[in-house]
Amino acid sequence: MKIRHFMTMAAAASALTALAVMPAAADDSRLEELKAQGFARVAIANEPPFTAVAADGKVSGAAPDVAREIFKRLGVEDIVASISEYGAMIPGLQAGRHDVITAGLFMKPERCAAVAYSEPVLCDAEAFALKKGNPLGLKSYKDIADNPDARIGAPGGGTEEKLALEAGVPRDRVIVVPDGQSGLKMLQDGRIDVYSLPVLSINDLVSKANDPNVEVVAPVEGAPVYCDGAAFRKGDEALRDAFDVELAKLKESGDFAKIIEPYGFSAAAAMSTTREKLCAAQ
Amino acid sequence: MEWDWNFVWQIMPTLLEGLKITILATALGAALAAVIGLVFAILRMTAPKPLARATSFVVEFIRGTPLLVQLYFIFYVLPDIGIRLPALLAGVIGLGLHYGTYAAEVYRAGIENVPRGQWEAAKATNLTGRQTWIHVILPQALPPMIPALANYLIAMFKETPLLSAITVLELMNQAKSVANSSYRYIEPMTLVGVFFLIMSLISVVFLRFLEERYARVEER
Repeated sequence: MKIRHFMTMAAAASALTALAVMPAAADDSRLEELKAQGFARVAIANEPPFTAVAADGKVSGAAPDVAREIFKRLGVEDIVASISEYGAMIPGLQAGRHDVITAGLFMKPERCAAVAYSEPVLCDAEAFALKKGNPLGLKSYKDIADNPDARIGAPGGGTEEKLALEAGVPRDRVIVVPDGQSGLKMLQDGRIDVYSLPVLSINDLVSKANDPNVEVVAPVEGAPVYCDGAAFRKGDEALRDAFDVELAKLKESGDFAKIIEPYGFSAAAAMSTTREKLCAAQ
Repeated sequence: MEWDWNFVWQIMPTLLEGLKITILATALGAALAAVIGLVFAILRMTAPKPLARATSFVVEFIRGTPLLVQLYFIFYVLPDIGIRLPALLAGVIGLGLHYGTYAAEVYRAGIENVPRGQWEAAKATNLTGRQTWIHVILPQALPPMIPALANYLIAMFKETPLLSAITVLELMNQAKSVANSSYRYIEPMTLVGVFFLIMSLISVVFLRFLEERYARVEER
């Protein structure tokens, strides 16, 4: 009796080990589905250099480019992107509207609890765009919370909105901005005092706007460097693990740096940290 | 996904905060629409030809373009010529202007439906213009307008979620924020629907009451 019990346990344990060791095993049905379909559906924002949609509809940006390359290596020909608000990405993933989020959705503990992240892909600190001379002297989310006149604009459901709310900025001073251009316009029109995005996004936006009355504060004090990963549905861990294997190879070969560094991202930053660390960080 | 009552109670204060703004925007928008509608109607019916034509054009122009486009215009384009309205005010003006053009048509139809004979009789009994409007024309023109105006009021109320597109923190925007931070849509969106339904039903009952009361006055 005891022996049989032990053997069952051992069998179960070895099965589990096998699953852990061979993540891209042939029984990975999701990956087979995607291969048969010929494409993976990815959720993106339209926030260069993380994600971008050209005028002709072509999807680029560092996050989709990495995903496209890895899916190709996994045998999935292409990716098909749909643009979504940050806040709607995880519910959309859970509802099966896309297969993976590749949008610069930074790892934070509550997001890690809701999705299955790959290892880190794109890392960046946070930045502010504000009126020239920084008239309100804003250097951190806390500064905005402490100044009852300061209003911050940020993408809905994005990391910056969460950081502002966590720092104690009341809801009515956190203006949800639909996209980068609107954010910049609202800053220029004086509807908001700060527009917050990751450093590279702010730089991209401000350089395109070419407005001498807008300046950048980067990095924001007290906000750490965040990294995103490709976010898969809970339950699609097998697909995620297969993605991770190819991501690790890509990083090692130097091709990873070749894809993301032209966009301004640091490959070293993504390779110096792990999902485990980022998901645990508060 | 399971319905979660705890979550419902947790988000209720936030949503009620949004509902307040929705009701405020509807009330102010309706008041503005009532006034603008009257101005448009009077201009179209009594102003000299060129002015009446111009008014007709403006009315048709506003009716022929989407409210969302008008809101974007008021919110994002007007600042370029130095008019920077706060988000809520921009929303109220958008609603008031848009529905004012519909109200204008209702007023016009109501007034034109008063038989010519009534005007002539008022003139024959030597009533002043003011007396004619207050004692003869409006009492006959107003009651038939109530159902049509009420329909537009309810329609406008149900269009207030558009204001979320110009950052007004009304009910829909609050619900979206809640969904953004919790990844749950089922409770916030259901509650938004329920709130709108309740408010619409209350308005319908109230307007029925008004309608009956005015109808009775007329019978007397």
